[in-house]
Amino acid sequence: MGGKASLFVVAGFSLVFLVIANNFGTVSNRSVDNYVDYFSETTAHNIAISGANIAANKIYLDPTWDEGYDDLPFQGGHLDIEVNTVDAYQNIKQIVSKANYRGDTSSVRVTLAPSKFSKFAYYSVYEGGSIWWTNNDTVWGPFHTQDYMRAYRHPVFYGKATTRKKLIYYSSQWQDKPYFYGGFEQGVDLPLPTDGVDNIEPSADANGLKFTGEDTVYITFDYDTLKYRFSYNDPDTAVYLPTVAPNGVIFAKNSIIRIQKSYVNGQYSIVSSGSEYSGKGNIYLDDDVVFSEDPRTHSSSTDLLGIIAQNEVLITDNEANHDDINIQASIYCENGGFGAENYDSRPVSGNINLLGGIIQHTRRAVGTFNSSGPASGFSKRYKYDERLLVASPPMFPGTGSFEIVSWLE
Amino acid sequence: MGFSTIIDILGSIIIGGILMTIAWRLSDAATEKTYNNSGELALQQNLATVAQIIEWDFRKIGYCADWNKLPDPTKAILYADTSAIKFLTDVDADGNLDSIYYYLGPTSELLETENPRDKILYRVENDETPAPSNLGITRFYMVYFDALGDSIHLPVANYGLIASIEINVVVENVAAYDEKYSSAYWRQIRMVARNLKNR
Repeated sequence: MGGKASLFVVAGFSLVFLVIANNFGTVSNRSVDNYVDYFSETTAHNIAISGANIAANKIYLDPTWDEGYDDLPFQGGHLDIEVNTVDAYQNIKQIVSKANYRGDTSSVRVTLAPSKFSKFAYYSVYEGGSIWWTNNDTVWGPFHTQDYMRAYRHPVFYGKATTRKKLIYYSSQWQDKPYFYGGFEQGVDLPLPTDGVDNIEPSADANGLKFTGEDTVYITFDYDTLKYRFSYNDPDTAVYLPTVAPNGVIFAKNSIIRIQKSYVNGQYSIVSSGSEYSGKGNIYLDDDVVFSEDPRTHSSSTDLLGIIAQNEVLITDNEANHDDINIQASIYCENGGFGAENYDSRPVSGNINLLGGIIQHTRRAVGTFNSSGPASGFSKRYKYDERLLVASPPMFPGTGSFEIVSWLE
Repeated sequence: MGFSTIIDILGSIIIGGILMTIAWRLSDAATEKTYNNSGELALQQNLATVAQIIEWDFRKIGYCADWNKLPDPTKAILYADTSAIKFLTDVDADGNLDSIYYYLGPTSELLETENPRDKILYRVENDETPAPSNLGITRFYMVYFDALGDSIHLPVANYGLIASIEINVVVENVAAYDEKYSSAYWRQIRMVARNLKNR
């Protein structure tokens, strides 16, 4: 009798322990499963991101790359990468990176659009020696320089700022660190093309307005009418722009363009080509150049202007420009820069009220200052035209590569 | 009934009592352990769920299928504080901009749970009614970093400064055996919403 009871007791306890152990084991297993699931999902996601980065880099190196990858082994998982052109007219591409890791899948979609220099609020190859961005400077849109980026007392950059070289502080990071409201990257190489202006000429031949064999072309935008002449005292010839330049390109080959007081209605690029040694390929701003509808007060304004010079874009030292100048355009100088004529000897000329962007090879001066304020030339009042993030003047030079405009993960 | 029989009965009572005491303590300990282990499992699952939801949403800060509707990613973050953040995104990837607002409610909202520290994490999509989730969150706080990797002092003067986010979540059991609450901690050291770096 006592032996049987002992057996029941032992069997009973064994059963209880088995149930408890099974319960604890299940909890442990589910706990580990939980970790493993999270790890697998995270790894699959990281593989998909890596795939997107690999494809983006391939496209950066070769903009025509669209081969993708099929079942590529990567980090213990597998990758499928597709590159599709989702909009042939605008050349919008999409990378689809799908990853599989131990049964968990993840995908990343990246949309890329051709990148134009017109998106920059400020771009330079050479910063003109040792010019510092100071606490008086605010750049409202994307910024890039191929040179060192020199900061003195917290300049402000509202758009993404990039430099090919590096950020230099005047004293220390604590005293000089810029405010980057749109991010910052160093080591970004984005050279200015040497054929950006030349590449526009075929468009001028096709559906634009082209001037050849003229030393100087005086141009006035009068809404839909373009007035031009070839010497200062000649009478203007007026043409209807939508008819003579349906693609919006106005091109003066081997010439100088002088833009008179203008009101631009529509989207145009005015281009001057020519060798810097012959003094051609320059554009002079003799007076204000503004849109027919200012986008800051007319949100539906579609007016855009590109002022594109092979060499310099200069504000003329004349009476009209001695009391402020208003410029609404994206300015591109392939070999030179944007500056003011006689910047160090002209009278104090008020402000440059620029709405647009400046893309230049070399940073130029627009005035001089002393301890009591401006000593000659202009003060800068530059505002970025935010529409340039999504639109560009006709045939504005491109960077030759794509930029990421949307990233879904 | 002889003396040996009395000894047998007394011995049986003593041994039986010991066994019953063991069984009773075993039951109590097993209940506690089962409760705690199950609680920790639930806690861990809650934490993983919270982490996945937060990662899913935060990775899409500044995303829009129609990228022309949000060309300037510096404007994607609308509000940022220690335990609250509001940002623009495209929840359904339908090309329409949405806003998502995360914030942590006060402890006084959750008096019905035994844990005195847990709070409701709210997720508000556009102007919809806040969607509460009671997953035992006791702490949800963020640290913001600028483009150079330095932490940004609060309150954030300009939300465009934010380049990456450290997200911290602490989860505890909503109820525990003898009020011995377990906790689990998740930290995303640098959450970089890729769209903030576009353009």
